[in-house]
This record gives sequence, structure tokens and C-alpha cells, in this order.
Amino acid sequence: MYRVVTVDIEKCTGCRSCEIACSLHNFGECNPARARIHVVKTQKEAVTTTIPILCRQCADPLCMKMCPAEALSRNEETGAVVVAKEKCLGCHTCVYVCPFGAPAVDPVTGVCEKCTLCDGDPHCVKVCSKEALTFGDEVEESMHRKRAGLEKYLEHLATVTET
Amino acid sequence: MPFLNAGRILHVDLTTGETRTQATKEYADRYLGGRAINAALVYDLVGPDTDALGPENILSLGVGPLGGTSYPGCSRLDVMAKSPVTNLLGDSNMGGYWAAELKYAGYDHLVLHGRSEKPVYVWIHNDKVELRDAARLLGKNTVDTQQAILDELDNPNVKVISIGPAGENLVTWADLHQGTCHAAARTGMGAVLGSKNVKALAVRGTQGIKVADPDALMTACLEAHTAIRGSEMFGEYSTVGTSWCEASYGRSGIECGGDGHEGPIPDWDPHRDQAFDQFWTEYGIKRTGCMGCPVHCMETYFVPGVGSASMSCELYTQTTGELRQDLLRGIKLVKLCQEMGIDETSVSNLLQWLLVLKDMGVIDDSHLDGVPLAWGDVDSQVELTKKVIFREGVGDVFADGLLAAAQHLDARTAPGPRGGASTYVYAMQVNNNPMYGINPRVKSMALAYAVGRRSDCISDLNMQDFDIMSVSAEYPGWTDEQRHEAAEFDAETARYVSGEPRAADFDVIDGKAMIVHDMGRTVGMADMAGTCKQHLKWLYLDSTPAHMSAAISAGVGKTVTADDLMWASLQLRTLERALECRWGRRREHDTIPEKEFDKLVSQGVFKGRSYTSREDLEAMKDEYYWLRGWDKATGIPYGETLRDFGLDHVADDLARLGILPACADEQQRRAGIAKASTLGYVWPELVGRDNPGGNKAPWAADEPEADAQPVAVGGADAETS
Repeated sequence: MYRVVTVDIEKCTGCRSCEIACSLHNFGECNPARARIHVVKTQKEAVTTTIPILCRQCADPLCMKMCPAEALSRNEETGAVVVAKEKCLGCHTCVYVCPFGAPAVDPVTGVCEKCTLCDGDPHCVKVCSKEALTFGDEVEESMHRKRAGLEKYLEHLATVTET
Repeated sequence: MPFLNAGRILHVDLTTGETRTQATKEYADRYLGGRAINAALVYDLVGPDTDALGPENILSLGVGPLGGTSYPGCSRLDVMAKSPVTNLLGDSNMGGYWAAELKYAGYDHLVLHGRSEKPVYVWIHNDKVELRDAARLLGKNTVDTQQAILDELDNPNVKVISIGPAGENLVTWADLHQGTCHAAARTGMGAVLGSKNVKALAVRGTQGIKVADPDALMTACLEAHTAIRGSEMFGEYSTVGTSWCEASYGRSGIECGGDGHEGPIPDWDPHRDQAFDQFWTEYGIKRTGCMGCPVHCMETYFVPGVGSASMSCELYTQTTGELRQDLLRGIKLVKLCQEMGIDETSVSNLLQWLLVLKDMGVIDDSHLDGVPLAWGDVDSQVELTKKVIFREGVGDVFADGLLAAAQHLDARTAPGPRGGASTYVYAMQVNNNPMYGINPRVKSMALAYAVGRRSDCISDLNMQDFDIMSVSAEYPGWTDEQRHEAAEFDAETARYVSGEPRAADFDVIDGKAMIVHDMGRTVGMADMAGTCKQHLKWLYLDSTPAHMSAAISAGVGKTVTADDLMWASLQLRTLERALECRWGRRREHDTIPEKEFDKLVSQGVFKGRSYTSREDLEAMKDEYYWLRGWDKATGIPYGETLRDFGLDHVADDLARLGILPACADEQQRRAGIAKASTLGYVWPELVGRDNPGGNKAPWAADEPEADAQPVAVGGADAETS
């Protein structure tokens, strides 16, 4: 079973530590504009929501299917969808088809840059003190979410009973 | 290729519309960065007789070498100019997201010169610098201004610093805002920006900060992360935020109606702890914070009928008197100040001064244009604050500061109720800068207020101090054993830092100068590096200068030690002091309000015990000057001290002005600096370290030609309108 980076948007405070760490580890410079993870901020009236957007390592990735150069493949060891840079045309097809807008063509290297899970040791997770990003087993993570859902339900139930 | 620094200082002349860049290296080889380079720029560019709100003043916004990197708390921006509040050093430090963005755009500092003829905002997009029309932004509050600029530029990733109506109206306490709650609030930096006819500074950068050894930097940053997240205070800090300060101040009784006046603030009520929790549970939306910060010390609230507001400790520590006990009311004043772009601390101070004058029978509502100002009544306080912000009626006078207000009131009130003295005597101020809500009767606080740069205590001390920390022994619910343990810990720490056995004892002055000095130099290091001082040990969390120096070493590719950072911090304070002395600051200006001398603390654990006498303060000042290598008679740094820190040009300048003091006892002077450099919590000795490498600092780049490549701004690839 592969390990995945999961996002809890309720915990994210939008500090962008993940962006800086990603760019430092993967490009050797501190530059959020080149990072493979981006914290997108939206403001609806009073409520600001921040969501870290990164490659979901889809089970059936559109980017892999659509890449005309067949530059994308799955790393069997980490489960990450990775780019063979020598094959990549920099044509942006993956950028267009990804439902999340996760990959990007890097202005410096001219090829697709996307999350590789740092070869199984993602740095964005390491600097996320709120644990909005976690790296774990897919099945366990899913069970964890279910449990969190139950807690919320119980909390709600308590409020309803009180009033 | 310069490492860690973006490499360029951007100068914008608003009078002519011209922009130019300068290599950061011209300063960075001698000064660490951020606040230090700001001070050097202000020293070089602002003359002694400059009008703070005149076009010849500059506003310098600077980011340090760790700004925008993976180092935790990389968000800090230091803003410096001559202050319209004090006519001395104006300096304020803010978090948020703007500072890092400026570095990604390729600049370490932005220096604004002159005055624009029309209202403009500055738009910096990497190499492109533009002055854009801001006429339609005038009158907008800080939040709406930011949104309007994002809409106009059609780019949600742009970061905007703006002033509100207070800055436009040149209210002396106007501030700079980014987001909702990030502000460079103190010393009137918003009025300086307003005086330049600049409404906002927008920046977007997509360039990287180059580092010498990325893996080593990542490792150093992760170590700092681990230290911070492993701190004892981290849990409370990242869940309760800075509001816990209020609880500790409240318990200690050192809070004093926001400004030292003894308003009707009751003794600490443990139920207030619960009040915070309730307020957060009921109205809190989420935690928030600054760029690259693992702590998130701020929270966002939504209160029906008031709206949403984000804040750190403002609501709890700065709002007037009783308002703090009624958060639902207090938040109205906080929100007003944030949106209008005015320093809430100063506003609170003004309001309480007026309330005290009213209690004394000096003034009545007629002196306030009929506003029925009352303790705990947020509506009347908001009404009067609005008058100040919009310069309506008597607010027009108050907007020029406490001294102007006092002169106005003196001319219109009977001398009897004020004991024949000026109303100014009752103002809680240092060099006309309104004080925080921390009691100066506690000895170390008195010293910190008196000698603090920019005439307040937070800059040099950040409020937390060991004789105050010993109050932690009063934490509610603690057993006697726990109290004893906490008091022992504080005493031991104070002894360690100062070398004085009784340093944690608030009845004596022993070791207080060393403690204030130690705090000041630690804060200085963070301000120069561009990181948050609250992450540092003794300032709540457990990262140390060694973490910073490891990160800087990895970034610049040469060994920079914690000692080097301390050397830089001593240099910084010497430079700032020289700058203030050139503008007229002397020993006699380092004081607290006269009326506070010999007064006992009126409540809390210090009640009836702690007070500061004039003699106490003067003795502590003597010791502090000795540690700093300054002349005791005048408070001006000795030429030898300036030269020790590579500030030869400053020494020459002060000599030219005829104010450079002569040092009669070189051995004594050296002994002071030696003590200042050796004690404290991480410092090995600095012996033989004066002026290392001539005027070149340890972190200076090796190859002089390395970053000499000219980068054109205002040239072919720049647009200026």
C-alpha cells in the first residue's frame, strides 16, 4: 500500500511553510512560485479558507493518459506519478487536464514539475506544524477521517441534546 | 551570485518618479540586514534637521537574510524612518506575507524618497516598478484598499501594504497594514507613508532566494522547527495565541489600564481565563499567522454586528481598561483601529489619559466636543477615536500627538485640578511616544522604557522579563510546590543571564541592566535576520541564535556563529543610538514619566512592593550605558565603541558635529563591553573580536565581483509612470 500526502483544510492556517520547503528541497532555492505545492487562499465574506493544492497521485491519472510524450509514469516504489524530464515537451497538456491544476511547467527548467513525494520523504509534511498535511497509509488515513467524522457527529449531537 | 539576500536595494524617488537599484552588498558586508541595514540607510540618507513628515525623510522597508527562506518565522519586515511621534528613531516591525514577497521580487529593501505630487501606489512586479494612480483608493480602509488593488491588478497573489484614512490624514500614530491584522503599528510609519502621498505598496515576486547549501539550510531549518515545536510553551502559544500574555499580565498586576494609569481595573479575576476560552469557542473561526510560521499566534473572529477581525494580543493587552474584560465590546475598537490604520496602543493610551484627566476634574465633555467619554463605554471611545482619525474638531489637535493635545488642553483648563502642572505630566509617554499597558514601576520595565530604542519598551525587551516572569509562580491552580519550582527556575535563569544572584528579585536593581541588555540584543538578532523574535528562547519559544546562525551559515556558505550575530546586534544598537543622538537624544531623554517615580504598584503580586525611584533608574542607566560602551554623562556612544563595531564613519560624523564624547577610562569601557558580550545564555567570550576584518563583517561575501552584475530597474525592462 502506498503512502499518500493528505490534506486537512480545517487545520491549514495558510502559512506557506510547505511551499518554501518544497522549493528549497527540490530546486535548491526558496521560491514559492516554483514550488510543487501551493496554498490557495479564498475569501468569502468573513471566512478565509486556505487549501494546499498538490498532486493527488490519482489512481488513474489523466495527466499520464494524456501526455503526448508519454513522459509520465508511476514510480512503483513510492507510488508517485513522476516525469521523465528528458521526454517532457513542456507542452502544458498535463496542466490543462489535471482537475486540480497541480502540475506546472517550470519557467526555469521548461519541463513539467510536479510532486514526486520527495522520493518517499515529503518535506512539506515535515514543516507543517498544524499537521494539516500528513503522510500516511491510504487505508489508515481513510479510517482516521471516518473517526474524525464520528467525533464531529457526537459533538453536534451533544449540542443538540443540550438545547 | 549573492546568497540569502535578494541582492538589491530598490530606491523609489516619488518626487521625480525615478527608480534605481543599489547592490545590497554595499551595506550587507558591514551589517547583517533588516533592521541594521535600515538603520544604516536612515543614517546615511536622513539629516539631523529633517522634518519627519517632509519629503526629505525616507521610509525604508527591509527584510533580513533569513526572510522568505524556510527558517520558521521568516516573515518579518522592519520599517524605519524618522518618527513624527518622537522626532527620533521611528521603527516598527511587522509580520504577514509582504516581506517574503519583496525578496521573491528581487529586493531586500525598498526605500521611498521624496513626495509624490498625486496620490499613488507603488506596484513592484519583479523587475517592473510602477507608480500607479491611487486617487480612487483614497478614503478606503486598509482591508478594502488591499482588495481594490488585487482586483485592479487582477492578481490574487499580490501582497499589499496599505495605510487607512488615519495615514492619509497624517494622524501621528497612523500605521501600515497588511492583511487584516499584520501591522507596523508603532512610531507613526503610516503617517510617513501618507506624507509621501503613497496609499499602498503592492508587490509580487516569482524569483528565488539563492542559497549556498540547500540541504544544509533545510536541515538547519528543520532543527529550528523541531526546537520551536518542542518548546514547553508551544502548545499554549499555537492554540491560545498571544492572548495568554494578557492572562500573565493580569495575574501579575503589571497591566495598568493599558498605559500605566490607575483606572478602575480590578484585580485579576481568574474567570477571565474562562472568558477568553468562551470568546474563542463562540466567535473564533480559525487560527492564523504569518508566512512560514509554525506557531500561528493569531486568531480570526466573527462577531455578529461587528464583523470579522483577526488579531493576536491586541484585544487582550491594549484596549482601554475595562474593555479588555468585555471582549465583545473591546473588539469594536480593535477592528476600528485595524481598518482605519492607526496604532491601537497609542489610541488606547490617549483615551485613558483623557479619562484620567476627566476623573481628576481637569477636563469635561465640553473639551471633547461633547463626546461623553467614559470608562468601559466602547461607543464613546469609538466616537472620539473617529474624531482623531478624521481630524474632526478637537480630534484634529489630538491627531498631532500627546504633546500637542496637552498644550491645547492646558490653554483651556483651570490649573487647579491638575495641581498647577501641565496635563502632559499625566500623560504616559516616553519622548512623546504613548506607552504600552505595562507598568513602569517595575524596575526592569522602567529601564526598558527609558533606554529602549524608539522610546518604548517592546523594542528592546519584548515585555517579558525575569522579575515579571517570577509572577508565573502565581499561576492559578498551582500547588505550592509548583509555585516554588517556577520561582526557582526564573531566579536561576535570571542569575545565569545577568551573573547577579538577586537578579530575579524585583525589590533590587541588581542585574536589571544586564537582563534588559540581553533581551535587547536577542531581539536585535531576530530583527536583523528577518525572523520572528517571539520564537527565540526567553522570548517564549525555544529556538536560539545558534539555530539562526546555523541557517545563515548554510545559506551564505561560510561559518557564521551565534557570536557573530551577537556582535552584529551590539553593532546595531550602537548605530541606532548614534543615529538618535545625532537627532538630539541624550541621557536626560532616557526616562519614564516623572509622576511614576516612587509610586508603588497598586495591585497584583507586586502590590505595595515594587516601585522605581529616580535614583534606581539613574543607577540602572549608568550600568546599561557601561555595558553598551556609551558615555554616562551624555548617553552618546564613545568613538572607541563606534570603531569597535566598524562604525568609523559614524564616529567621524559625531566628531564633526562636536558631540563625540571622550572616553577617559578605556579599560572600564572595554570591561563593560566584555561583560555585555560574555554573559547571557549562549555566549562564549568575544575577546579579541572587536572589528573583525576591518569594516567587513564575518558574513560578508568573499568575491567582491560576485554580485556586481548590474540589474536594471528604471532602465529598459522597467516601466515608470
